[in-house]
Amino acid sequence: MDWLAFSLLNGIIYGLLLFMVSAGLTLIFGMMGVLNFAHASFYMLGAYFAYSLQGIVGFVPALVGATLLAGLVGAGVERWFLRRVHRYGHAHELLLTFGLSFVIAETIKLFFGNYPVDYRIPRSLDVSAFMLGNQQYPAYRLLMGVVALVMFGLIYLLLTRTRVGIVVRSAIYKPRMVEALGHNVQRVFMGVFGVGAALAGLAGAVAGAFYTTSPNMALEVGVMVFVVVVVGGLGSLGGAMLASLLIGVLTSLAVGVDHSAADLLAFVGARGWAESVGGLLTLKLSSLAATLPFALMLLILLLRPSGLMGDKD
Amino acid sequence: MRTPLSLTAVALLAALPFVLSAGLLNASIQMLIAALFACAYSLLAGRAGMLSFGHAAYFGVGAFATVHAMNALGGSGLLPTPLLPLVGAVAGLAFGLVAGWFATQRSGTAFAMITLAIAELLHALAPQLKGWFGGESGVSSMRMPAWGLDFGSTTQVYYLTLAWVLISLAAMYFHSRTPLGRLTLALRENAHRLRFLGYDMHGLGVSAFALSAMFSGIAGGLQVISNESANYAVFDAGVSASVVLNCFIGGVGSFLGPALGAALMTFFGYSVSDQTQVWLLYQGTLFVLVMMFMPDGLTGLATATASLVRRHGLTAVLPLGMLWVVAALLLTSGAVFVIEMLQRLCSQDYRALALMSPTAPPVALFGRSWAPAVLSIWIVPAGLLAAGGLVAGCALRRLRGLAQKADQDAPAPVVPLAEQVSP
Repeated sequence: MDWLAFSLLNGIIYGLLLFMVSAGLTLIFGMMGVLNFAHASFYMLGAYFAYSLQGIVGFVPALVGATLLAGLVGAGVERWFLRRVHRYGHAHELLLTFGLSFVIAETIKLFFGNYPVDYRIPRSLDVSAFMLGNQQYPAYRLLMGVVALVMFGLIYLLLTRTRVGIVVRSAIYKPRMVEALGHNVQRVFMGVFGVGAALAGLAGAVAGAFYTTSPNMALEVGVMVFVVVVVGGLGSLGGAMLASLLIGVLTSLAVGVDHSAADLLAFVGARGWAESVGGLLTLKLSSLAATLPFALMLLILLLRPSGLMGDKD
Repeated sequence: MRTPLSLTAVALLAALPFVLSAGLLNASIQMLIAALFACAYSLLAGRAGMLSFGHAAYFGVGAFATVHAMNALGGSGLLPTPLLPLVGAVAGLAFGLVAGWFATQRSGTAFAMITLAIAELLHALAPQLKGWFGGESGVSSMRMPAWGLDFGSTTQVYYLTLAWVLISLAAMYFHSRTPLGRLTLALRENAHRLRFLGYDMHGLGVSAFALSAMFSGIAGGLQVISNESANYAVFDAGVSASVVLNCFIGGVGSFLGPALGAALMTFFGYSVSDQTQVWLLYQGTLFVLVMMFMPDGLTGLATATASLVRRHGLTAVLPLGMLWVVAALLLTSGAVFVIEMLQRLCSQDYRALALMSPTAPPVALFGRSWAPAVLSIWIVPAGLLAAGGLVAGCALRRLRGLAQKADQDAPAPVVPLAEQVSP
């Protein structure tokens, strides 16, 4: 059962990481109705910023710096790009952010090359937290989970307990009314966009050191994050949390399963048939792990089109 | 379409093999395929207003179906080589029906995400299913002779591609004139009203999706016939991205806009691929600029210019146009200089070189070498950019002046720029 505990823990932490990225995305979507395609690019930018800063200021200041820089880039994108095309409609905004994600990825390739960079966690943090059976569990993984949880707590408190939070929540709900009450809704939008980007940047800075930092990381995480927000329900923070954890645990568990559909069919005596058919039936679940979230998404869409916790649209 | 104009265009396309070299003819085949793919995409994204970010899936399915049919039938029997794209069409249609049934359950943003996920699903699955997709090496095949043609030369492949592209474009144009096509347009313009009128929204969405997938499948099939192989790289997100970029750079407001955009972008990609390694960056930047300043794409720009000429006369518009061209040239050359310089400075070779020598080694660019550490080098692009900005500002002022003068002369209605493509 060590394996199960190990996979569950990994899955939960990966899910928390996904949540850190998707929280900003779903918040921005709820407020502006724009699904920011470039959101995962901020995740990547965070990792690259931290990588560049690490050599100069050290690891932890680099994390802070990367978070701030990603947030600034995000606010800039809202101020100078999205706001300009707002009048052309949502589809146009989606396309613009799509173009931006493309440009950001290509710019990263321009500066850092089209291969993974050597961004690693510092030696002092590369220790094991505890033994699980006969395997060591890296402390850094736990740290990632803690960072995500702390961020979630802070955001939650900010949104529910402060004046700023009230304005933000009401700007999501009825922007016109908030504007009429004398609040600068444009600035609120820019702020939320920036905070969402900063969150993604922090996630990237933290996770990039543990996983790999490469120009492809935006696409890999981005697609997964889109799946998360669709499964969780567009615009729902709680749904994003649930879906992130679900997908994290699902993929993490699936990687360790060495069975295929043929093994399952063996129970009904159809193993020979399955093996003669081949294809999907003989593929091991572990090699299908990357495709499971998509399958889950299609299933959810079939059963509950608005997502796990989404409103009916 | 204006008949004489399109006939001339077809005649020109048919004459190309007589004037082009084999390499350029190959590029033309790629341009034609990209144009067909972009048009197929525009049927869904432009006409029906449903943004798909995973169209590589249908292109790829068409490609693999064709390559398997090529191997299985050997270009004989019921499906000789010239008819093979039909397999791509059927496969695209079938897969498009299934995927479209799922995707069109939702509209808007969720739709876009679902298409993306379906494409990624295939992309993740394809390398695992070696039997179908051939793993890393892909599946290769041979073009077999049929109908008295051996399809050994590029010219014959070109004519085959051209014929299929023209037939498909004609079919898509015909579709846009049928009631079904008009309803597809209505799906984009006013879905609520369509529902009140009693139309089956889901069915309409699926029809547009499946037709778009079918024509994408034909494009995939043509690609296989031209390359004689298919690899799971056709499912790559880059393929989906490039069709979106091409299509909107060309402009979805007009029927042939996406085709022109795709042909143009493919041609540029082909012609500059030796000179630059960051072509995709230029393409992405162009797309962002188009999205921000010319929401109707390049064809929209042409239409707007034409209407300016009609209203103010050629003499008033010509100097303005010249100013814009000069500004664009200055800005582009400045930006290209900076980007190419940075690319060379950040490349692995250069970094290794810089580590060995005490001073920054010179960089070869545009036929001469530049010392990057000398500040005056950077005056060149800075000057270009500044001059471009100045000229652009001047042109903008003149454009505003023109519009103001027109308003004073006669309160004419403003040119409806944003009307065509507001999705």
